Amino acid sequence: MFFHIVLERNMQLHPRHFGRNLRENLVSKLMKDVEGTCSGRHGFVVAITGIENIGKGLIRDGTGFVTFPVKYQCVVFRPFKGEILEAVVTMVNKMGFFAEAGPVQIFVSNHLIPDDMEFQSGDVPNYTTSDGSVKIQKDSEVRLKIIGTRVDATEIFCIGTIKDDFLGVINDPSAA
Amino acid sequence: MSIEPFNRLVKLAARAFYDDITTKGDNQPKTGRSDNRGIAVVVLDALTRRQWVREEDLAKNLKLHSKQLRRTLRFLEEEKLITRDHRRETAKGAKIFSAAVAATADGPHHSKEGDEKIKMHTHSYCSLDYAQVYDVVRYRMHRMKKKLKDELEDKNTVQEYICPNCSRRYTALDALRLISFEDEYFHCENCNGELVAESDKLAAVQGVDGDDNVRKRRHEKLKDMLQKMEAQLKPLVEQLSRVKDLPVPEFGTLLAWEARASAAARGINGDLNGNDPSKSSQGYGGTPMPFVGETKVEVAFSGAEGTGVDAKSESENTSLKVLPPWMIKKGMNLTKEQRGEVKDESKTDAGSASAQFSDDKKSLANDDDKTNIQDEYVKAYYAAILKKQQELEEAAKGQQELSSTEVTESVANTNSSRQVGMKAKREEDEDDDIEWEEAPIGGNANENYKVDLNVEASALVEEEEEEDDDVDWEEG
Repeated sequence: MFFHIVLERNMQLHPRHFGRNLRENLVSKLMKDVEGTCSGRHGFVVAITGIENIGKGLIRDGTGFVTFPVKYQCVVFRPFKGEILEAVVTMVNKMGFFAEAGPVQIFVSNHLIPDDMEFQSGDVPNYTTSDGSVKIQKDSEVRLKIIGTRVDATEIFCIGTIKDDFLGVINDPSAA
Repeated sequence: MSIEPFNRLVKLAARAFYDDITTKGDNQPKTGRSDNRGIAVVVLDALTRRQWVREEDLAKNLKLHSKQLRRTLRFLEEEKLITRDHRRETAKGAKIFSAAVAATADGPHHSKEGDEKIKMHTHSYCSLDYAQVYDVVRYRMHRMKKKLKDELEDKNTVQEYICPNCSRRYTALDALRLISFEDEYFHCENCNGELVAESDKLAAVQGVDGDDNVRKRRHEKLKDMLQKMEAQLKPLVEQLSRVKDLPVPEFGTLLAWEARASAAARGINGDLNGNDPSKSSQGYGGTPMPFVGETKVEVAFSGAEGTGVDAKSESENTSLKVLPPWMIKKGMNLTKEQRGEVKDESKTDAGSASAQFSDDKKSLANDDDKTNIQDEYVKAYYAAILKKQQELEEAAKGQQELSSTEVTESVANTNSSRQVGMKAKREEDEDDDIEWEEAPIGGNANENYKVDLNVEASALVEEEEEEDDDVDWEEG
């Protein structure tokens, strides 16, 4: 699920960036630092949409670095248990398959794949129904439901299922 | 409107789910003697025969140690089957409860009149919460079924993997770490052995290789389990559906229940109130218990005071405390003063001046205003009303003189006793709270007189009541 929230961060800026472009430098550094990171609490920071305010800088002893408290608005992505996501399959093996929904990795184990789909090893490992009409392989797009999340401080990993109504392949690359 | 189906539900649920509950801690040795499995069933059964019950009494009746009982009760409370209430009270307070019990349940009636110590003890009470029991049982069954079905359909289960070499276990959540890029299998972090999927927990006894055969067997086992569960819980399910549309018996809070129980007791004393017109209009909000003639209470007041109290009690959902039996004996005669005072109190809602109010009422009425000013005011007011009432009585008497003396006599007895009871209670409470005011018991001049008013003049009185009500509102 996506959220638009306000976060705060203390930015350290090297003295060489001081000058009339200080603010721009600060913001670009913030984007570089923050976008794409993941915190267990808020999820993945997808994009910074605006700066709320930049506090007074504080020169640190010893170094010339200045610390600015910056409040910024950003879009975060946080997967939840029970959420339905669309994801791209990245790897298929005997144990199940891995998929990615943006920055999130999701594992679907083989007992959460419908029983009528069998694993086919070979050049392109895949899961196929007995009549061959549905095939899950690398780069397939699937709709899945998250049934568990593992949230670490800097990492979120999910396991999902496609063994439910309206879940499964939504776009088959080989058919296209 | 019977409580019986619900009791049956409780008993069935107790036997189905709480049969093997032991409240002993794990550290205690499980000798044959300390094995108290089934205690929950016994306690629940006992509670179906009671309503609110003091836990000490319950322990005594069940011949259990109170500690053991309390542990069981705490467990049942956590299971949301019963509600408990704790309060600090004097010996007298306990007595009030005893009286309430005597009025209703099969509990023993002990009224130790001797000890009037102001020692405060914390007493715990408990009772079944039927509405919640119903929900809890339904929820439990739902969860059981859902779990089995999920398991059956492999839904929402996190696959576990096990290392055949070092029998280390992993879940699917570890998958990312475990995947090896040489072959595409999961490898143990410890010994780099190839992990195998573990079949589900409910049927984990079979071998660890996750082939089709095992899966099929597991399926069968689960299906079997589900069927067995459905068969064995059938009586419970039936009872649930039977109970579904019945109104749930509610005891209310301890205070409310005490009030009602005492009211019932009074109702028994004075049956004639049953057909009083004012009764119908002034019911309590709560669901009536079979034994509680709740509405009878109101009628006990004569004339004007009746409505005042009733209105209040309605709004508060608690009216009066139990009448202690020893008070009844004391005096059948009431003075007008007393009556007047009562009336005043009920009107002013402060209960301050005359302080005849029961603890309940006081606590409910936010009785923070025990000021002398009010006292004075109430007295003046009361005097006025007294006067008025006298006039009324005169009128009533005139009418009533004609009616047969016998009836009047009986009426007088019952009514008066009831009134005395109420008053007595208030006096008692007063003792608790306000030492400075003497409960005026005295002039027994016009008992019959008053009673007449009560019974006969209820129609007349109603007009007056209305007036009084108006006044009341202004004050409020």
